[in-house]
Amino acid sequence: MVIKMNFEYSEKDENFRKEVKDWLDETLPKSLSEKVKKYQRLTKEDYEIFMNNLTAKGWLAWHWPKEYGGTGWNAIEKHIFEEEIIKASAPRIVPFGVNMLGPVLIEFGTEEQKNYYLPRILSNEDWWAQGYSEPGAGSDLASLKTTAVDKGDHYLVNGQKTWTTLGHHADKIFCLVKTDLNAKPQLGISFLLIDMDTPGVEVKPIITLDGEHEVNEVWFTNVKVPKKNIVGKENEGWTYAKYLLTFERTGIAGVPYSKSALNHLKMISKRSLKNGKPLIEDPIFSSEIAELEIDLLAMEIFNLRTVSAAAEGKAPGMESSLLKIKGTLVRQKTTELLRKALGPQALPYLPEQFDEGWNEMPVGPSYAGPIAKQYFNMRKISIYGGSNEIQKNIVAKASFGL
Amino acid sequence: MDFTLSEERKMLQETVGKFFNSNYKNIDKRSENVNLPEGYSKEFWKESSDLGVISALVSPKFGGLGGSGEDISIIFELVGKSLCVEPFLSSAVLSSTVLSSISNPRNDLITDIIEGNLLISFAHCEMNNRYEDHYIETNAYLKNDEWNINGTKSFVMNGDDASKIIVSARINGDVNDRHGIGLFLVDNDQTLKRPYNTIDGYRSTELTFEDLKGELLAKDENALKCIIKANSAGALALSAEALGIMQICFDLTLDYLKTRKQFGKSIGAFQSIQHRMVDMMLEIEQVKSAVMLASSTFETDDLTRDKNISAAKNLVGRVGKLIAEETIQLHGGIAMTWEYSAAHYAKRLIMIDHLMGDSDYHRDRFKLLSNS
Repeated sequence: MVIKMNFEYSEKDENFRKEVKDWLDETLPKSLSEKVKKYQRLTKEDYEIFMNNLTAKGWLAWHWPKEYGGTGWNAIEKHIFEEEIIKASAPRIVPFGVNMLGPVLIEFGTEEQKNYYLPRILSNEDWWAQGYSEPGAGSDLASLKTTAVDKGDHYLVNGQKTWTTLGHHADKIFCLVKTDLNAKPQLGISFLLIDMDTPGVEVKPIITLDGEHEVNEVWFTNVKVPKKNIVGKENEGWTYAKYLLTFERTGIAGVPYSKSALNHLKMISKRSLKNGKPLIEDPIFSSEIAELEIDLLAMEIFNLRTVSAAAEGKAPGMESSLLKIKGTLVRQKTTELLRKALGPQALPYLPEQFDEGWNEMPVGPSYAGPIAKQYFNMRKISIYGGSNEIQKNIVAKASFGL
Repeated sequence: MDFTLSEERKMLQETVGKFFNSNYKNIDKRSENVNLPEGYSKEFWKESSDLGVISALVSPKFGGLGGSGEDISIIFELVGKSLCVEPFLSSAVLSSTVLSSISNPRNDLITDIIEGNLLISFAHCEMNNRYEDHYIETNAYLKNDEWNINGTKSFVMNGDDASKIIVSARINGDVNDRHGIGLFLVDNDQTLKRPYNTIDGYRSTELTFEDLKGELLAKDENALKCIIKANSAGALALSAEALGIMQICFDLTLDYLKTRKQFGKSIGAFQSIQHRMVDMMLEIEQVKSAVMLASSTFETDDLTRDKNISAAKNLVGRVGKLIAEETIQLHGGIAMTWEYSAAHYAKRLIMIDHLMGDSDYHRDRFKLLSNS
C-alpha cells in the first residue's frame, strides 16, 4: 500500500538523466548551443548536426518502439530526455518526420511505406513538413479545401497549405487533402505523402511580425501524386490526423523552456537597475517573479503527474489540453516579465545580431537584444497546435456533460 | 460639463486626420518611411509643418497655435492611428517643452522647429536610468567659462538626424540626487552616434559626448522641473498615441471577426469571443476617459498635471498589453505576419510601455502624488 507519495525520480531515472547530460556535454558543439542561447538564426545544417548525432546514438526516434529503431523509452524517460536537451540549449528536434509522421506510419502505414520511409526518417535523409492548416482552415481544420482527385494511377492535387514551419528546408510534406468533395467536414479527408520537388509544388515564405522567415505557404497546382503515397484508407485521413494530434506529447507544457526563462529573468532582474538599485529588490516586480515561479512550480508537478500516469499506460486526455493552455500562458508571461525587466533597453532591434558570427558591440547589455523579439514571437504558441480557445472547447466538450 | 471638442479642434482633427491618411495609406507606405536614411520622411515632416501640425503642438506664447493638452492629444491620437514615425514626439513635444519651460524661453529655436527647419532631440535617457527624471550619469563641468559635457545618452529619438541636442547632465552631486542637474544645448555634429531602429520601427540613437561644449539652458530646480515637464508631456502624447492605436486594433479585430468564418459561421458569432471584445471595448473607454482627464489638466499645477498623466500612462500600459495581445490572439496566425498591419500596431502599443515610464513607474508615481 502506498502510504506516502513520492515526488523523487528513481535512481534508474537519475542515472538516465546523467547519461543524457554527459552525452550532450560530449557531443553538442559549443558553437551551436551558443547560437541557440543567443537566439541566432539556425541553418538547415545546424539542425542536421544535432539530429545526425542523435541518429548515431540511436536516440533520434525517441517516441518510437524499439522494433522500428526507436528508443522504447517510457514517458518519464522521454520527459527527462526533453528536459536535458532544452537545458543544454540544443537545437530543437525537427518534429515533423520523427515525432509526427513516424508514429502514424508505424500505426497505419503499409509494410512498403514503413520499409521505405522510416529508415529515411531515422537517417535524416528526408526533411518532412506538415501540410495541415490552410488559409480557410485553421482552428476548423476539417473544413480544408485542398483537393486530391483520383486519376487512375495517381491523385491530382490542387490547393494551398499555410504556416508550414521550415517548409523551405523540406524534401517531403504530409498533407491532409479532400478526396471526397461531397462528404461532410471530417469525412472524405485523406492523408497523403507528397514529394516537394514534384512539378506544381511551390513554397512561398511568410515573414512574421519579428521580421523572421520560419513559416511558409505551400501551393499545389495540378500536382501528380502516386496512389501508393496515401497513408491508410482513402477518406479516413481524419482518424490518422487526430491520432497524430493527440499523440502523446510529454513536452506540451514546455516546462523546461519556462524554467530556463525564469532563471534568465532572475539574472536580468539582478542586473537591471531601478533608481540605482537592482530591479530584483523592487517589491512589486519581485512579487511578480515569485508568482510566476509559483505557477511554474505547480505546473511542473501537474506535468509530472500526467507524465507519470502516461508511464503507467494511462493515455492523457484533457490533461494535454489543460497543460497546453497553462504552459503557453506561463511561457508567455516569462517573455513579458523579461521585456518589462529591461525597461527601455528592450527597444533597440538589430536584426543582424541574429546572424551567425555577428560580433559587434550590442546596444546595451548583450542579453537585451533578443528579448522584445522573443516576446512578440511567443505570441504564436497560444495560436498554433490548436489555439487555446480550441483547447478550451475540447475540454468543455469532453468533460462537463453539458 | 462639456466633453465635446470645440469647433476649431474638430476641424484640426479632421484636417490632420485626412492629411495623415493620405500619406500613411497602408503599412507598406509606413515601411518605406521607416527604411529611409533618417528613419522617417523629411518630405512628410515638412508638409506637416506647412499644414500647421507642429505649430498645433506649441502654445501661442512661444509662437505656436495650440500646445494645450487637448491639442497634443488630438494630434497624437492621429499619429497613433497612422503609426507615423516622424519626430513629432522628440522635437515637437519633448524639445519644445524644454525650450519653452526654461527661465529664458528660446522662441527662436521653437520657431525653427515649428517651421520644420530645425530638428532638436531631447537626450535624457541613459542605459541605466530606466525611466527616472533625475538619475543622471552624464556630467558637465565648467572650464574657462565653457561647459564641457561627457557621457553617453541612450534611446535618443531621432538623435542621428537632429542638428541640435538638449542634454541633461550632472553638474554636481551623486548620480541619484535630485539637485545638481543641468540642461545643455549642444551641436550634434561633434557627437559620436550609433543609430538603430527600435523593434516597432522608430529611429533611436546612442550619443556619446567627449568634452563637448554646451550652452547651459537651465540648472538645479529649474532643470529638473523642465525634465519632469518634458517627460510628462511625452507621456501624455504617448498615451494619446496609444489610444489611437487601440481604436485601430479594435476595429481591425472586429472587422476580422465578422469576415473570418470557421465551423460554418463568422468567429465573431461565438459568445466567448464577443465577451472578450466587450472587455476590450470597455477598457478602451477607460483609457479614452483617462487621456481626456490628463489632457484637460495639462496646464494646471504640476501635481495635478503629473498625477493625471501618470494615471493615463499606467492605464495605457495595462490596457495596451491587453489590446495588443488580444488583437493578435483573436486574429490568429494572420496577425503574426509582417504583411498585415495589426502586427505593427500591436508592436508599437507594447513598446509605448517602454517609453517615458512604464505602467509600474507611473503607478508608483501616481501613489506618491496621490498621497502627497
